[in-house]
Amino acid sequence: MARLVLEDVTKRFGAVIAVDAVDLQIEHGEFVVFVGPSGCGKSTMLRTISGLESVSAGRILIGDRDVTHVAPSRRGVAMVFQSYALFPHMTTAENIGFGLRLARVPKDEIARRVTDVAKTLQIEALLDRYPRQLSGGQRQRVAIGRSIIRDPEVFLFDEPLSNLDAALRVRMRLEIARLRDRLDATMVYVTHDQTEAMTLADRIVVFNQGHIEQIGAPVELYDAPANLFVAGFIGAPAMNFIPAEIEAGENGKANVRFGAVSLPIGREAAEGKVTFGVRPEHLSVAAESEHDFLGRVEIVEKLGAESLVYLQTGFSKAPITMRIPPELSVHAGEEIPVRVGRKRLHLFDAEGRVI
Amino acid sequence: MEGDKRFWRAVLLALPLAVFAVFVIWPLASSFYYSFTNWNGFNPDYDYVGLDNFQKIYTDKLFYQAAINTALWMIAAILLPTALGLGLALLIDSSVPGSAAFKSIFYLPICLSAVVVGQIWVWIYQPDWGLLNTVLEAMSGERLRYAWLAKPDTALWSVIVAWSWQQTGLSMVIFLAGLTTIPEDLLEVCEIEGATTAQRIRMVVIPLLTPATVVVIALSVINSLKGFDILYIMTGGGPFNSSDTLAMHMYNESFKKYLMGYGSAISVVLFLIALTIIRVYFRQLRKVDELYG
Repeated sequence: MARLVLEDVTKRFGAVIAVDAVDLQIEHGEFVVFVGPSGCGKSTMLRTISGLESVSAGRILIGDRDVTHVAPSRRGVAMVFQSYALFPHMTTAENIGFGLRLARVPKDEIARRVTDVAKTLQIEALLDRYPRQLSGGQRQRVAIGRSIIRDPEVFLFDEPLSNLDAALRVRMRLEIARLRDRLDATMVYVTHDQTEAMTLADRIVVFNQGHIEQIGAPVELYDAPANLFVAGFIGAPAMNFIPAEIEAGENGKANVRFGAVSLPIGREAAEGKVTFGVRPEHLSVAAESEHDFLGRVEIVEKLGAESLVYLQTGFSKAPITMRIPPELSVHAGEEIPVRVGRKRLHLFDAEGRVI
Repeated sequence: MEGDKRFWRAVLLALPLAVFAVFVIWPLASSFYYSFTNWNGFNPDYDYVGLDNFQKIYTDKLFYQAAINTALWMIAAILLPTALGLGLALLIDSSVPGSAAFKSIFYLPICLSAVVVGQIWVWIYQPDWGLLNTVLEAMSGERLRYAWLAKPDTALWSVIVAWSWQQTGLSMVIFLAGLTTIPEDLLEVCEIEGATTAQRIRMVVIPLLTPATVVVIALSVINSLKGFDILYIMTGGGPFNSSDTLAMHMYNESFKKYLMGYGSAISVVLFLIALTIIRVYFRQLRKVDELYG
């Protein structure tokens, strides 16, 4: 059973701390996605697990074996790179069978296993081709094939879909999801694309400046972000943040006030300045009598399945984004009544922690 | 304006073309012409002799000796600097301490002229007090002392060693440049897949250095065909023509024996050999381009 445990793992490059005392347990068979902005340490974390980077402090355990100082090839990990990292002078078959050839596995066995893997990935017809004769998606499949064939305990994916165009990325995402279900292995996947993270992950780990901001199932992070950073990072378009204040409301419960709007939050809270967060999908165009505030439409983006509306308001310098059904006709310059969904209000204190 | 531009373009192209014509095309054409004559190099009178000079080549034992030496010279001049340059490049690239200094030191000989290199190695090979014999004597007494440049069995090889010493720095620098073009993640794949150093070099690094190797070999071929000056300095083709190459043989026939017509015929043959080699080579080059280009 390949449980992956990171204990207090720190990685420094000179004075720069890329990964700062990370503790994490990944269960056998789990698909965990590391997300975060560029330079947040997610890729370094992955490379540390693979052994391509040594740790500055802490321990890494794979299946209860301490691999902190074990060579990459003996850790039982396979890695898929963003650039695919295929050898240009080798055919698909040679690329996939590379590790077996290094291990001096007999030729006929290599051929048999390469064919098996190629069947799984539906690239049997490409076995004699060179990487330059393959499309981006095919190359990525070959790279995945090279990692599968060694039957590793832990798969590491370093932004594997970043170099693909949007349509292909969606297709490959599905394929990776299928692979996840078929292979009984632990998978760690790094991406800066939160859609990939949301759709693939059993659990998401949000990195920021070398440490973990929050760990949780995709819906958990979406519904209950632990802080401003996670709230802003998960979800597209991003959550609206509005400077606000907590004030006393009815029955001892608190209200949140921004501009002329005062909304009951349905629980107690200490009075003071806060950041109020609401997702674009939790704002709606309301009947005149039910609206919370009026916003002037700045831009409308019609995406087909939905429309995004950017509003100017008196209480927020940044435009407020809302998501509306495509059939609602809204025009730039128009002033529209907006209602805030009461169930999904997020409040953050001055340090950015959720209240 | 447009006409002006074209005028200046024509002028600027005409200048190098004129230089090329005077110093390359005209001598080349003259050689072809003189190869059908019995000109001695001085006398304004000479006769047209048809293919006599080429017939003479056919029966010239020294020509064959020189052709064999040229082949040996070329093969060694390609293999030695290429292999040594690759080895040095791999060592220096593995960031041994002081690799920057080593890089400069190994590159230095290529900055010297062949005459200087030849002279240095004449001193090294000097039978009585040369560096090589002094060291060998210290190691083994009289037994290994040898007149390296004065004996037919070692003269050519001794020059080849000197030549390689000079050329290795050049191939090393080209290989070092080639090594920097190998993507880091390909080497990381080797690490994760468990390749030994030898496996990594054999299965990944050397194949990926193919474009650099192509350049190194091209330069070696061209330089070795031109290799005349260092032989002239070190052995002059001797002793007993044992280190004669075609270029050397041509020089000796033309300027020592004053058989300018015959020398020209040799140079024509040498030209055709070079042309053939370079044509074959360029055809290979295209294949490499298709794979890596």
